[in-house]
Amino acid sequence: MEVERQIRETVKKLFDESKIDVFIGYSEGTLPLKSTTCFITESANIEKLVWNSYCLNNLAVYLPRFFVYDPRKKDATLPRVGIVAKGCDGRSLVGLIKEHQIPRENLYIIGISCDGMLDVTKIKNAGIEIIESKEKQDKIIVIDENRKAMQFEKKDLLADVCLSCQYSTPTVYDTLIGEETQNTKHKIQNIPVAEFEKKSVQERWEYFKEQISKCIRCYACRQACPNCYCKVCFAEQTKPRWIGITNNISDLMFYQIGRVFHQAGRCIDCGACVRACPMNIDLRIFTSKTVKDIKEFFEYEAGVSLEEAPPLAIFKQEDPEEFITEP
Amino acid sequence: MEELVIRKVKIPDLIQELIKTYKVFLPTKTNGDYFHFNELQTVNEELLSFWDYRNTKISPKEIFFPQTEILFSFAEKMESLGSNRQLLTIILGIRPCDARAISFLDKVFAEPLRNGEPQTPSYIDPYYLERRQKSTIVSLACSNPQITCFCTSLNGKPDGEEGSDIILYDLGEEFLVKVISKTGEKLIDSFAKWFKKATKSHIAKKNKFIDFSLKRIHSTIDCHNIKEKLDESFNATFWGKIHLKCLGCGICTYLCPTCYCFDITDEVRNKQGKRMRCWDSCMFSLFTLHASGHNPRLTYKERMRQRIMHKFNYCPVNFNGIFCVGCGRCIRNCPVNLDLREIIKDIR
Repeated sequence: MEVERQIRETVKKLFDESKIDVFIGYSEGTLPLKSTTCFITESANIEKLVWNSYCLNNLAVYLPRFFVYDPRKKDATLPRVGIVAKGCDGRSLVGLIKEHQIPRENLYIIGISCDGMLDVTKIKNAGIEIIESKEKQDKIIVIDENRKAMQFEKKDLLADVCLSCQYSTPTVYDTLIGEETQNTKHKIQNIPVAEFEKKSVQERWEYFKEQISKCIRCYACRQACPNCYCKVCFAEQTKPRWIGITNNISDLMFYQIGRVFHQAGRCIDCGACVRACPMNIDLRIFTSKTVKDIKEFFEYEAGVSLEEAPPLAIFKQEDPEEFITEP
Repeated sequence: MEELVIRKVKIPDLIQELIKTYKVFLPTKTNGDYFHFNELQTVNEELLSFWDYRNTKISPKEIFFPQTEILFSFAEKMESLGSNRQLLTIILGIRPCDARAISFLDKVFAEPLRNGEPQTPSYIDPYYLERRQKSTIVSLACSNPQITCFCTSLNGKPDGEEGSDIILYDLGEEFLVKVISKTGEKLIDSFAKWFKKATKSHIAKKNKFIDFSLKRIHSTIDCHNIKEKLDESFNATFWGKIHLKCLGCGICTYLCPTCYCFDITDEVRNKQGKRMRCWDSCMFSLFTLHASGHNPRLTYKERMRQRIMHKFNYCPVNFNGIFCVGCGRCIRNCPVNLDLREIIKDIR
């Protein structure tokens, strides 16, 4: 509640002082346990902004489109955009700034030290619809369609990405709400990947095939990912046609493998892709493996420092070479 | 034909009989924790509580209009259409909204079918038609609509009959079976000994069922004269606001039971190839990209406008019906909670 009030106050001030043209934040969803995105263009609408435990989505994905060069526009001034950013969102912003997709000087970042957001699919209620939800301090109370109330501890419902979060405060911001924390309590870093790595190649391939065969090429993973801003994705190019547009397993694999590898060195493990996927594909196991590899090979974590060069853009003498010399 | 009943305990045996001559599609739970219409390979007790599901993740339109379809293949000096013949199929347990959506797709791909025969010979999709003519659709009336169901706002009902050949009502221990079309009648006649006549008490139970279901639908949209309202709204300012949070993925279109856009591509290798038809989405950036490089729908504003206009204005003009059945899939699955019901409210 306090955070929400501070967000609204800050945004009102930004509009009153004409410091921004548009603000991107969260507002109440139309379904229980959900939030949605809202775009505020005047201080009269600040009441729409909310802050709760369902503000999972990575809002950085909306930024590149505000700064696309449009030759039809006579007025070439870029908009000034305000945005609210959790730790993960902040890392996406750093990534986008480094890749010259958004200019730092046109951004006003309200940073929030995040305690973790909820993964509502963890509420196992066997297909019974939830019609209402309430947050009470560290508990969530839901009411199902049979008017039965159930109570959960927030910490039991935290999203997997939040459980392994290393940066709960954004590393770049203009204003911070809350204390700067790099809290690492109850953090499991990449345990699912460590378990996965122990499996044999055949087992891993089978798992990959099984998960990927559910894919329907809706591209929600790509569209939800702030790093995927290519005007024409490799999966849709026609001259040449790199991969087919069908949902045959080889096309699906090529698309997924291509996307995961394009994220290497850039993925911050925010979980936007997994959340967006309607078919519940375990995408994170593949993206978090690249995150782990990049950390081990190049001691680099994406989205932390604005100055550090991306690992795939530079070469250092001490870069490991075993994968070339001893494959 | 009067209404019949069959006891649920007999269903596994009946299906055992059916799969001898028919391909049977049932909603089954997949490893992604959602339901999907799959062809039944073996009769399995677990698979056969299909009546316990709410609705599938993807609509069953893919049974008639698959995501990937090989239209024909070709090689140097040879072209083969391949065999398009389909086996007799039963789609069991489809929801009335999805069945109604199939009847809408009939208007697009197969012209209105009357008694299984199309009216005019033009614009018939032979692939769709073959599958459609070989199927019997057995729908399952809804006992428990979801919070995102709004079929009643669009002339639908939890026990709507449009698009179904037979409809089942779950009365607890038994199903009440109502035959709707001649195709349905043919199926029931060939298995007549499995069914008994429904008694007055069965009919009373059915009516209570319908009442209960209707009361559970709380979600509504106001579609009264929406086509006329949209006629004058092409340049309205609200289009500039409602598209903002759209990510531009294809979830709403791919999961929708009435969306039917597709892309055609050739896959050629050396001297042979095939022409495929695959699903496409108006929300994708390349959908209206011209060969010149010009894209008349450059931003999500134009694409969102097109999607809404298509469903609520262009299709009513071309096919005499709003192309939305109120199944709610787009609302439940949108990653950013873009809600069609809110959009319709904004248009009003």
